[in-house]
Amino acid sequence: MPKCTINGRSIEVKEGTTIMEAFYQQDASIAHYCYHPGLSIAGVCRLCIVDIEGNPRPQIACNTKIMEGMKITNQSAGIKEGVKWVLDFHLINHPLDCPICDQAGECGLQEQYMEYGKYSPEMAERKVKKRKVVDLGPTVVLDSERCILCARCTRFTEEVTKTEELGLFNRGDRTEVGCVEGKQLDNKYSLNTVDICPVGALTSKDFRFRQRVWYLKDADTICTGCSTGCNVKTYFNKEGFFRVKPVYNEKVNGHWMCDEGRDIYKFVNLEHRQLKASIRTGSETFETSAGDATKKFSSFLKQLKSSETAVVLTGQYTVEEYQALVKSLKKSAGHFFHWNQNEVTEKAFDGLLLRGDKNPNTAGLRQVLEENKVGSDWKELETGLKDKKIKTLIVAGPENKTVFLDLANKLTLFSQAENLVWLSAAKLDQAVSGPKNFWHIPLKTFVEKSGTFVNAKGLAQKFSKVTTVLSEALTLSDVAALLTGDEALMVAEAKSEIAEAKIPLLADLHKRPDQVELERRKKNEFLYKRGAL
Amino acid sequence: MQTKLLSEFYHLEEFCGLAGYKKNGGYKVLEKAFKMKPQEIIDEVKNSGLRGRGGAGFSTGMKWSFLPKNNEPRYLLCNADEGEPGTFKDRLMMERAPHQLIEGMIISAFAIGSEKSYIYIRGEYNEPIRILEKALKEAREAGLLGKNILGSGFNHEMDLYVGAGAYICGEETGMISSLEGKKGQPKLKPPFPAVQGYLRKPTIVNNVETLAAVKYIIRDGAAAYRKYGTEKSAGTKLFSLSGNVRKPGNYEVNLGISLLDFIEQEGGGMKPGRKLKAVIPGGSSAPVLTAAEVAQAKLDYESLAGMGTMLGSGAVIVIDDSQCMVDMLGVLTHFYHHESCGQCTPCREGTGWLNKIVFSILEGKGRLQDLDLLLKVADQMKGRTICALSDAAALPVISFVSKFRDEFEYFVREGKSKVRGELHAQMHH
Repeated sequence: MPKCTINGRSIEVKEGTTIMEAFYQQDASIAHYCYHPGLSIAGVCRLCIVDIEGNPRPQIACNTKIMEGMKITNQSAGIKEGVKWVLDFHLINHPLDCPICDQAGECGLQEQYMEYGKYSPEMAERKVKKRKVVDLGPTVVLDSERCILCARCTRFTEEVTKTEELGLFNRGDRTEVGCVEGKQLDNKYSLNTVDICPVGALTSKDFRFRQRVWYLKDADTICTGCSTGCNVKTYFNKEGFFRVKPVYNEKVNGHWMCDEGRDIYKFVNLEHRQLKASIRTGSETFETSAGDATKKFSSFLKQLKSSETAVVLTGQYTVEEYQALVKSLKKSAGHFFHWNQNEVTEKAFDGLLLRGDKNPNTAGLRQVLEENKVGSDWKELETGLKDKKIKTLIVAGPENKTVFLDLANKLTLFSQAENLVWLSAAKLDQAVSGPKNFWHIPLKTFVEKSGTFVNAKGLAQKFSKVTTVLSEALTLSDVAALLTGDEALMVAEAKSEIAEAKIPLLADLHKRPDQVELERRKKNEFLYKRGAL
Repeated sequence: MQTKLLSEFYHLEEFCGLAGYKKNGGYKVLEKAFKMKPQEIIDEVKNSGLRGRGGAGFSTGMKWSFLPKNNEPRYLLCNADEGEPGTFKDRLMMERAPHQLIEGMIISAFAIGSEKSYIYIRGEYNEPIRILEKALKEAREAGLLGKNILGSGFNHEMDLYVGAGAYICGEETGMISSLEGKKGQPKLKPPFPAVQGYLRKPTIVNNVETLAAVKYIIRDGAAAYRKYGTEKSAGTKLFSLSGNVRKPGNYEVNLGISLLDFIEQEGGGMKPGRKLKAVIPGGSSAPVLTAAEVAQAKLDYESLAGMGTMLGSGAVIVIDDSQCMVDMLGVLTHFYHHESCGQCTPCREGTGWLNKIVFSILEGKGRLQDLDLLLKVADQMKGRTICALSDAAALPVISFVSKFRDEFEYFVREGKSKVRGELHAQMHH
């Protein structure tokens, strides 16, 4: 356990800790671009220079391990001046096109220049011209002039995905990022390169030019794209949701998330949602509010035999919702079924993050069914529907339709029932004409509720509500409360082993220091004095 | 004045082939070395005071002793990527005495316990490549390379690796990257090559002249080698003399001789009617010396370091009063801009910036503040990068601008060269 001092403060660190890591641990500010805690050390941006007492030359913090008794500072006049100049070196050939750059507002160059910049540019020569709008692949566009050659993206494809599509070509200030001959940046994690790009060189085709980032709010939640349960940040404003980015969680996803998961914001937006509840009796269809429709069904439900009523659940809802629904319907419904999105690929795992089970809470659903000693074999449903033994079906359908490839087949199966209640946030593409009575009750999506998801590894993660998109929609807990008239269920605090376990809220989990710093900057808590500019 | 130790038989054509080399005492030292213990050889080299002849001047014996003391496989690399502008001594050594290098390398490999070595040679050196390949074939056929060399039980393989023409591959970690098949870019240190180098194994990288000199240290002993040169700069050194002298060429002399004597006596002095203006004493990256400084300079590591410049690779470039210093600097900044590998920001951007400023001046668009800007930019490039290329680019700029400021100011004010009296550079790029 070597002891050292950082800017005069004495600390003790673990053996093998680098100066950069110590700065992170101390929450002390240090300029850097190429260092990324999830990647190897490149040591090329040369911004993280520090003075070490007794060492004539400044050393880089990212590649220097702390030794006993080191006296480290980045506050000396020489280092401050040096950092200013290195930043200027970064900028002399940078196009400075912030007004039209998609990264503006969350750009490493902008942020660090505010804090460490020289503010008196001396470059009077022509800038180096490089390629612009380079198509790297299906997801990412490159602007070489903005690139500061930190090599984060190339290291990512080398070390994390091991696909090695990207490389640095040419020498000196003609160096450019590019795709290796015969390859394009086309892997399942390609958009992480956009996240780790500290400048606007790599931009996402999906997000670019759609919103200025300062018009977006953000909040943490859990990705519902698959059963890994990556921690994510969603970005939204009153026009809807625009993108999803990963949040560091050592236990779940590290620094990364997959490209598939980044699409989850799409089905949250209003254009993909069922806005009103619709009730069809015979050939008569009318629209009403979700609550009203549920109440109407509630009185209908009372006339039914429990042995003829069944509930079908997908793994897309929270543990609390399952608890509430199962509790409230235990008496009036005789069968509970788990609609598995794809039994064949369920166990598939690509070794990094992506899992075959495209539901966030399959494990949670199974636990709740087991806990309540309900749950029947899927075959029973098929035969029951065929033999007309099951007449009424309440289906909590998929929130994210795109991953349920057999949706149409399943709908045909469910249509054999006399009465079908379809609970789902998503609009249905086809008319359901089979059942005599059909209810479609709009639900809330994952961003509109708080709850717990249990991921494939069995880790329960609590998350809280991001915002309201469709105020009229209900959660399954609301549905349960309306069906039984027991308002206690609506609180969504159903008693459950999982829900009661003390799981820290996602937002309270330890955040990566650079994220904290980014948030602080966003709140205008700059370290420099504004008047000094 | 020449002391022909390494270059004793360079005038003989036969010295190039194995038979001729053996006739003149070749591979006798190898036999002697095999009778010694490896540690004795290392100690001998350490005691001889031999310092790396490639440019950095680091103690060779010390470098060897950084190797981990275990049985891990290790590599010996010979740096024959002679790229420093003005240097051409290694070329001569490989053309005239390839077996001298091979013998020195086998002795060194035996000392450090390496069973595999590579000669990384500059791609442009067609003739030395041909000659070395022939020599390596001869050595293999004669059993001087391979298994159980000369019955000593020591196995060693040696191969030639031809670079693709990058200055940066002369930097030892850049060379290792290139040898590994990667883009020739220096690696972060630590870890140092002696701990983790080629293929992540302990690796020693030595210059051609250093490895050849090992042979003579083992032949005559450390004490005898120390008789040449000075206390801290022992031995002889090949200097590549070029520029405005009458007899440019390679000369082997004792370290520590006077620079002016060297130019006068070996180089034959200045051309008629010309006066000495400046000398770059150690390859293009060494800071330039003015005529007044040249008169006091001695060709050894310490005294040149004391004058703020360096012995480097031993490339003495003589500049007479017909040369415009702004032109000269333009050549240098263009070179370093072209050769920067582009990894570290200060070097990648700085070399280009320096080059553009100098060329703005050369095009008559200079501003007086550009001279201070050159100094500031160069100062911020010094010692801030992974390898020394950034320093190599910055040091000549600082020395040229500060020592010949009058010529630069004249160029900026008048828009033409003080020496040539016209605007555009004679060598344009």
